[in-house]
Amino acid sequence: MTNDDLLVVTDLNVSYGESKVLFDINLNVKPNQVVACVGRNGAGKTTLLRSIAGFLKPASGAISVNNTSLVGMMSFDVAKMGIKYIPQDKKVFSDLTVRENLELGSYATKDYNWEPVTDYFPKLKELMDRKAGYLSGGERQMLMIGRALLGNPKVLLIDEPTEGLAPSIVTHMQNVFRELSKRSAIVIVEQNLPLVCAIAHKVYAIKEGRVVSEITEADRIKANVCEQYL
Amino acid sequence: MMNIFRWWWGILLMFLFLGVLRIFLPLPFMNEILIFSIYTMGCNFLLGRVGFISFGQPAYLAVGAYGTAFYLYYFGTNPYIGILLGILAGLVVSAAIGPLFVRLRSDYFALVNLALAVIVFYLMEKVLAGITHGDNGLWFLTRMSNTPVLNLGNHSDFFIFVFILAMALWAFYKYLDDSIYGACCLATKINEDKLKFLGYDSFNIRWQAFIIANTTTALAGALYAVYFGFVSPDFTSPSRAADPVVVTILGGVGTLYGPIVGAIAYTGMKDLISGYIANWELVIGLLLVIIMLAGEKGIWGTLEPLLAKIIFRKRTVSGFSTNGDKNL
Repeated sequence: MTNDDLLVVTDLNVSYGESKVLFDINLNVKPNQVVACVGRNGAGKTTLLRSIAGFLKPASGAISVNNTSLVGMMSFDVAKMGIKYIPQDKKVFSDLTVRENLELGSYATKDYNWEPVTDYFPKLKELMDRKAGYLSGGERQMLMIGRALLGNPKVLLIDEPTEGLAPSIVTHMQNVFRELSKRSAIVIVEQNLPLVCAIAHKVYAIKEGRVVSEITEADRIKANVCEQYL
Repeated sequence: MMNIFRWWWGILLMFLFLGVLRIFLPLPFMNEILIFSIYTMGCNFLLGRVGFISFGQPAYLAVGAYGTAFYLYYFGTNPYIGILLGILAGLVVSAAIGPLFVRLRSDYFALVNLALAVIVFYLMEKVLAGITHGDNGLWFLTRMSNTPVLNLGNHSDFFIFVFILAMALWAFYKYLDDSIYGACCLATKINEDKLKFLGYDSFNIRWQAFIIANTTTALAGALYAVYFGFVSPDFTSPSRAADPVVVTILGGVGTLYGPIVGAIAYTGMKDLISGYIANWELVIGLLLVIIMLAGEKGIWGTLEPLLAKIIFRKRTVSGFSTNGDKNL
């Protein structure tokens, strides 16, 4: 851990009831850094993100942003601190239009400037009056990320954003994440190794609830290195 | 000016329809429909917007009714003040118990509210019989004073008063529907966790919705009290717990005008069919089954998109802009 770290997770242990899922997790994220978490299904990657987002209370350990502890905070208070979690399920508020979904994001953050959102995702401009339930998977992902960008978040926690998306949209997302990292730090859980290698400054490999490897050298962030942890 | 008209035109149209109905239907029937619509609106908001089904609405109806009745029987004679106090009673009770109830999941919420209806019933019938007079009820029709402009003791004036009040209430709910708060309520129903991830306190949103809905129900109770000049524990009989839920579903869950349409259908069928069949509830029950099988949208939920299609298609042909507003 260094003084310029934005998000710091120290010796984090998380359990679901009697079942322990995360063991002594340590993770550091600097401003404008893209940190990827890779690992098999069930390794604990989503649990890690949900713990940071305040949805799960850790059994022990520390989570802090700018030296402010997040442990014990309600998830909506964590979000107000600029830590935005984008879950894996691609579920939006289906009965609301795209515009109303974005307005919800705006009202919570008092950020009514949608230009950055539509710059990253021009498609959303055409879909403003469409009910979110009628969007495709890629469009929903754009909406979820776009909505999370409102309020200039410090950290984006993104859980498997490219799962089930067409290759062309994955490429678009890759470019978007590169651009986004100029505004926010990103912690991304991904199994798409080419994407991870293209955007990540640091990779944590998680296996059975433990960090088994931390790859910080750019020349070691390669698909064949990360693959061994999948 | 045109913006105001576009915002209000659906409400004006619906209440114009009700005004026209008044010409053809008896005054007591119309008063019953208006008050019952208000009663149902609270349940409709809870179920349609927040996803909470409540079998406890008779409890809040009784709170409003008895709040009004206690004032008019023991303390004063002005029915307007009585109604205000009935509303206040509903607001205070729902604000106090809301933090306990809204923590619960929808199924437990339904049951705990039903339990509340039973508790309030027995409170009014037995425990507080010294002041509520139990089954004999509180009679205050002749105590109520005449009020200026609209004399609420006169049923015609009462209809005008409730008509204006209902219109204002529907404008309030229309405002809620179109506001961020309305979107938050719907988002809570769809996916509460996602709303928290955006930075919203969903507990507060549910609590506020609980207060709004049950204060509306208490208003209906206060209006019943003034209209009949009499209140008894029958208002909160647990056997009537399903009435507002049935009418909500019948009219169309979560729709703005579903409570009005449902109240007309329910009250109409009750009055019409009960003249021919003793067990009119059988017909209502069958109708509900048909509605469920047909798509669960209710009468207004089914009619509204058809009407919108007809109206907006005609407006497009004549050159008017639709403004993308497809909801009446």
